[in-house]
Amino acid sequence: MSAHDSPDPSKAVLWDTHYHGHDVISTRSFGYFLYLLSDGMLFATLFAAYGVLSYSHSYFNGQTPADFVHPWYTFTQTVALFLSVLAYGMGMSAVKKGNKAGLMNGLIAAFVLGVIFLGLDIHDMMDLAAHGVTVQTSGGASAFIVLTQVHAAHIFFGLLWILVMMAQVAAKGFTTDTVGRLLSLRMFWHLQAIIWVFVFVFVYLWGYMS
Amino acid sequence: MSHGHDNPILHPEVQMSSTRGYFTGFLISLVLMAAATAMVSSHAFPPFGLLMVITICAAIAIIAQIYFLLHIDVSEHNIWNTVSLVLFIPLFIFTIGLTWWMFSQLYLRTMPMMPGMH
Repeated sequence: MSAHDSPDPSKAVLWDTHYHGHDVISTRSFGYFLYLLSDGMLFATLFAAYGVLSYSHSYFNGQTPADFVHPWYTFTQTVALFLSVLAYGMGMSAVKKGNKAGLMNGLIAAFVLGVIFLGLDIHDMMDLAAHGVTVQTSGGASAFIVLTQVHAAHIFFGLLWILVMMAQVAAKGFTTDTVGRLLSLRMFWHLQAIIWVFVFVFVYLWGYMS
Repeated sequence: MSHGHDNPILHPEVQMSSTRGYFTGFLISLVLMAAATAMVSSHAFPPFGLLMVITICAAIAIIAQIYFLLHIDVSEHNIWNTVSLVLFIPLFIFTIGLTWWMFSQLYLRTMPMMPGMH
């Protein structure tokens, strides 16, 4: 090695001043992703419970999903939820360019569409109760109602979180904390659409046809 | 997962948002759910065939959403999310599948007289 290639000892940097491991946002969002996977296991137990309580004897000679599920009604819930997820995604695309108004529009649209989803769900549950299908009716009805309403509860808390994020972004702007939370909420909200595909196809549609 | 800037907007997880990707995921899953709803409400096939068809619809919709919405891929930034999801999938399937199998065998042996067993 020639003297030309050797570093000048007086100017040499002996250690890196920047930490090249996980940064704050990545660490938090990965941790939140692991939490969401454990939430997926909660849904796995509820799907398993619905699976073992969806035999015809589980309905205690009462109404089964074949009697009380209306596929096209529940499909409108699907449209509302998927549009809400799309609106949230559009809002996050606006964050890419630092566009606060674009994010707010996305959050408001996601919130309104989520409220429509929840309103349709509550209307459906009131309708079931009016026709004598409640958690007390039979094991099958319990499993059906608990599974669908745990998903609805996720939507409810997601809506609260959307309101909190609108307030935080309005007050603080795009900081490491608020942007990190927007990313966590993006994972949470988008995961609800994935869980809903399972709920819609294997609980509502399969229940209706069997 | 490392990056040397402090502006959160420039973080790779923010920058991976894609309007076109979200719209593609939305369209694929909505069309598949509409198809599944139409086939089930018109009883287009015998029950077992119908179950297979809507299961395929659900599988494609879920894969599209996982790819386009959750950005699960093999890029350097997302690889650990992908690894943890891949490890999660067998737990999810075994929890549902083994519970269902266990109870279906139990019903078969303990409730042979129940009408409508299948």
